[in-house]
Amino acid sequence: MDTQASTQSPALSAVILSGGKSSRMGRPKALLPFDDKPLIAHLVERLSQRFSDIVVVAAPDQTLPSLPVTLVHDAVAHQGPVGGIYYGLRAIRGPAAFVTSCDAPFLQLPLIDYLVSQLTHNGRGYDVVVPVWQDRLQPLHAVYRRRVIPHLQEQLATQRLRPVYLYDTVPTRTVPAAEIKRFDPEGLSFLNMNTQEDYQAALAHWRTLSAPISCTVELFGVARLTAHTPRVPLTLAAEATLGDALTVLGVACPALLGSVLSADDTGYTSLRNGYACNINGKDFVRDAHTRLRAGDSLLILSSDAGG
Amino acid sequence: MYGFHGRLLHIDLTTQSYTWQDIAASRLTAVLGGVGLGAALLYDYAPARVEPLSAENPLIFTSAPLVGTGLTTTAKYAVVTKSPLTGFIADSLSSSFFALELKRVGVDALVITGAAEQPTYLQITDAGVEFRAAAHLMGLSAQDTAERVRYTVRTEEEAEVRVAAIGRAGENLVRFATLSNEGRHAGRGGVGAVFGAKKLKAVALRGQRRVAVADTEAVEKIAVTLRERSVGPHTAKYREIGTVANLAVFDRLGSLPTYNFQNVPFAQAEALSGESFITNGFSQTHGCAACTIRCERLFQSLSGEAQRLEYETLFALGPMCGIEEPDAVLQAARLCDQYGLDTISTGGTIAWAAECADKGLWPELRATGLSFGNAEAILALIADIAHRRGAGALLAEGSRQAATHLGVEAEGFAMQVKGMELPGYEPRSLKTMALGLAVSPRGACHNRSGAYEADFSGHVDRLQADAGRGALVAASEDFSAVLDSLIVCKFLRKCFDDFYAEAAQLMSAVTGWEYTAADLRQVGERINTLKKLFNLREGWQPEDDWLPPRLLEEPLSSGVVQGVSLTPDELRLMIQSYYAARGWNEQGLVGEEKKRAVGL
Repeated sequence: MDTQASTQSPALSAVILSGGKSSRMGRPKALLPFDDKPLIAHLVERLSQRFSDIVVVAAPDQTLPSLPVTLVHDAVAHQGPVGGIYYGLRAIRGPAAFVTSCDAPFLQLPLIDYLVSQLTHNGRGYDVVVPVWQDRLQPLHAVYRRRVIPHLQEQLATQRLRPVYLYDTVPTRTVPAAEIKRFDPEGLSFLNMNTQEDYQAALAHWRTLSAPISCTVELFGVARLTAHTPRVPLTLAAEATLGDALTVLGVACPALLGSVLSADDTGYTSLRNGYACNINGKDFVRDAHTRLRAGDSLLILSSDAGG
Repeated sequence: MYGFHGRLLHIDLTTQSYTWQDIAASRLTAVLGGVGLGAALLYDYAPARVEPLSAENPLIFTSAPLVGTGLTTTAKYAVVTKSPLTGFIADSLSSSFFALELKRVGVDALVITGAAEQPTYLQITDAGVEFRAAAHLMGLSAQDTAERVRYTVRTEEEAEVRVAAIGRAGENLVRFATLSNEGRHAGRGGVGAVFGAKKLKAVALRGQRRVAVADTEAVEKIAVTLRERSVGPHTAKYREIGTVANLAVFDRLGSLPTYNFQNVPFAQAEALSGESFITNGFSQTHGCAACTIRCERLFQSLSGEAQRLEYETLFALGPMCGIEEPDAVLQAARLCDQYGLDTISTGGTIAWAAECADKGLWPELRATGLSFGNAEAILALIADIAHRRGAGALLAEGSRQAATHLGVEAEGFAMQVKGMELPGYEPRSLKTMALGLAVSPRGACHNRSGAYEADFSGHVDRLQADAGRGALVAASEDFSAVLDSLIVCKFLRKCFDDFYAEAAQLMSAVTGWEYTAADLRQVGERINTLKKLFNLREGWQPEDDWLPPRLLEEPLSSGVVQGVSLTPDELRLMIQSYYAARGWNEQGLVGEEKKRAVGL
């Protein structure tokens, strides 16, 4: 385990709780293999895209593979989520942390970004941002400020181990499903595993997400005339982004480069000014990191709709 | 004075007299030219509650400070009057050599009042006005009128005149008749009918005066920059295809209205698309004077004639009326141009009539064979409207007026706001545009704001309404008001890095007066407030800022936007946010404090 601290002072941190009992699963959930790698390694990899300070909270005697994180252990085992959150927050270097459990294989970074942004909402500051999915609070997919530590400490001392007591005490922003669906329409973020059956189902879904995806680019206006075709089928890597798709499109239709697309020195391709992209005829997208799904249609059109 | 002449020419058709009058520099600074100056003069010259088709309704042509500077896309003029279609302000733009000639006549505005006893056309030079008989021109198209006027001139000098004229629809007081010059139209709001009511067939201009700019070097530098930007990617759509490029992509987005806004998408959208017109047939590219974008596209019909076609015409005479054949749309567009009919209102009114026929609400019309997609019947009806014969006599009043004769059910699907038929932007799937259409001072208008730009930007959810849209629409209206008063073509709008700052620099260089970005922002707000004040004086009521019942009662039922709707509560929320952004009260009224704040 690499426990060397970075000299960089991170704005926000992430905490992964891995000290659960895993009694129904029969083996540590953090170590369940996904593509020949333990799940916790995938989680760290994904969260590293947003957080440079990641803390893993393990049970007192738990062994984990070497990971680029800060490892801490529960002083007292099995105090539930409140204990894990408490020990995790004590170890972070930032003022707040996104907290998740180690058995959530489908974290969605755009949703996490949104939750973090909600620490301030409508001009008001919050100490906790917790989503509500299927009418249930999701304390292990939430954001906590470091300053709630004394409240958690008191809860542990008085054996009030349900996170909801904290929410009743400090300013808490609950994020409703309607807002969550904008970033994670199916609620994959909240899918966790308690049994072998859960694990097998998650594994099957994981493999679906890992397979290459097919998308179609529909060209309109100048783009269509330039490419001499109304549509271009693309095969993209799993979890490809809009930027990835435009890069592949530039290779498939080099005529578009220079007029509709522009490529940088590394070959990474984006839309030129004057053009816009819409996914499936519904949402206009601007962020090159927007994740695509199998079957998506990307519409390339003029950004000026004057007529 | 730089950039402006500082005077207007007031022509009285009743007495056949004219006078030049000074315009104070302070007024020009406050409202610029174009629609701003036109709105200000309309407020002054129109008697309160004037009947639009009476002699007292003034007909106002305005030039603008950038006209004649050589800056790309600035050869434009505005025609402003009280609309016979809406009863509110009509401010239409047209362009090209007539606009340049208006400036050379040596005035910033022509104000035409009164009415002639006999058909008349005006021959205007910088020396004065001649009132000439026009009986021999009656019944001619605008284009033929211009040719005949040039053919019958008395001197070689007069052969260079530039002419704006009305066709038969204007003569017959069709409430959505256009004024046309050089194939371009001041299309919306029925200014052609106001011409007709004054027995004015045409205005012919020839001038020699030029307006100097204050800083020639600075203006030229800006002109070079804008010229370069005007041929970049932001205008590629207009240069390569023209506005007809909108049709296919709007259809794909569920934003192309079809069959009188009954549903989306349109089964034959590909066949009618701009891409297909370009790929499958002969086309020509034309441009206005002093324009480097050159967005005009002419397409050849099966009879071999070249016909101008814009997106709005294509939408209104195509999918809106259920017409699937490209050649039928070209024929319909040719008829509208020939008679001088606004294609949007023509298509919208006929689509309403077709639905009345379908529903059995107008049996006589059904007996003529009128139905969606029946090109032959629709072409015949266009001619009937222009001549005001048969059912065309009622349809010449526009869909709102016509619907009042057929009852409440028919009024529910008359797709108009303030009497003006809707353009080709589906409000249910473009929520910011829905608000823009509802509150626009001149009715359902896609030109005096670019509210749809927000819906296409990715910054808002186009399918959802929210209270943020009011500020977006107000800002878009103000931006458009400044564009339309400088005047710069809206297709250049994305070629500025920082529009207000660059426009202020430009205006300072042209006029020698110091403008800041903040000044021009306030000019935009002032002009829109002025338009609202005019409408209030003419009887505006809160219910005038509203959308047709169909849009608020019927969700879209198929395509990518299946199930998308717009409720009255959502529209009300957006309208209130608009009034708040404008600093008006909840009833949409402008308080004294607000008037003072914008310098009115």
